[in-house]
Amino acid sequence: MSSTAQSADLDQQLQSLLDRCAAADSTALERLYELASPFLFACLTRILRRRALAEEALQDVFVSIWQRAGQFSAARGRPMAWMMSIARYRAIDMLRHERSAPVLVPDLPERADAAEEARDESVPWMPAAGLLDRCLGLLTDQQRSCLELAFVGGNSHEDISRLTGNPLGTVKSWIRRGLQSLRKCLES
Amino acid sequence: MNPQEHPDTVDLLAAEYVLGTLRGSARRRFEKWRSTSPLVQDRCRFWEENLMLLAKGIRPVRPPPHVWQGIRARLNFVRSEPRRRTGRVWAIAASVVLVAALSALLYWRSVEPGKLSEVATIATPSGTQVWEVDVYGERGRMIVRAGSLPAHPADRDFELWALPTGGKPVSLGILPGSGSAQRTLTVAQQQALANAAQVAVTVEQLGGSPTGQPTTTPIFVAPLRATS
Repeated sequence: MSSTAQSADLDQQLQSLLDRCAAADSTALERLYELASPFLFACLTRILRRRALAEEALQDVFVSIWQRAGQFSAARGRPMAWMMSIARYRAIDMLRHERSAPVLVPDLPERADAAEEARDESVPWMPAAGLLDRCLGLLTDQQRSCLELAFVGGNSHEDISRLTGNPLGTVKSWIRRGLQSLRKCLES
Repeated sequence: MNPQEHPDTVDLLAAEYVLGTLRGSARRRFEKWRSTSPLVQDRCRFWEENLMLLAKGIRPVRPPPHVWQGIRARLNFVRSEPRRRTGRVWAIAASVVLVAALSALLYWRSVEPGKLSEVATIATPSGTQVWEVDVYGERGRMIVRAGSLPAHPADRDFELWALPTGGKPVSLGILPGSGSAQRTLTVAQQQALANAAQVAVTVEQLGGSPTGQPTTTPIFVAPLRATS
């Protein structure tokens, strides 16, 4: 099965589970948790850095998914993007109280290998990579690295400035230009 | 601000909100705005679905079983039969073992490594061996055996680097905390090793340096010795 077809199947499955959650079927939330929690937990751990905090956040996220499942059905969109956003926004909120120092994004140490060897087990709910991959490829290294430090590591502009040793204004500008360039490319 | 009149500003605010760099009171204000404006919601969804690909390198990690039990308790779900619950725990444990076994298979295929070409012994000044690194250049494989490790915070990893002459350090991956690890080297890693006289170890964030370069001063530098 192609990854696009697999991704569409999974979207449909997640969508139907969310519909059942909206109808208060607790077995649907359990299934949704089995499917989505490992990825969401990994995202939360990257941002929050402390396992206990990430566990607490994951509980909040699934309580929230349960309570808001009805809203998702109405809004459409991609279920995993919706769930991941709930998780990331929760983590960013928790950061306000819990973290004062910037953190590095612990990216895969064997990035090239991992991409090659684990292609078949790559996260199936990722969007079809073609267009966005091409658009990301147009970014400068600095732009892309700043976007990753922010999105994956939950770092603020100031954090990224301290981490990379670049002036705050430069970091802000790299991020802004990176986003503008992505948008232009994605919508062209 | 009327979002329709400033589409570019709205789009950039939405992008920075989704990215997580819109912080503090600006973030709170934007959230209020998003809750009432379909256009703002639409731009957020655009970025949520697209920026998601930045996270594609994240490897899923199964949370511990008590997290789900906590969710059930908070939502007042009826508790499962004790026997079934035990079954679930075992099922989760079994799937964790399976995932671990598959990952191990993927990364460290247990094949004969071939002919030993280079060795590095990473040791403390007093001579206690911390890691031994064996490189099998012919087959592009590396085996690392952990000895007696120095104390380090639980939220840090040790990362191994090849130091090619006249070039930047090249990561050889995270060092095992105990036992041994065998892995296949990429072409870039093999080339770096071929041009290196030394390897180094740095303390990095869990999972290793995000920049592809050491972020701390090496705690060990050891010579790489050719065996032939």
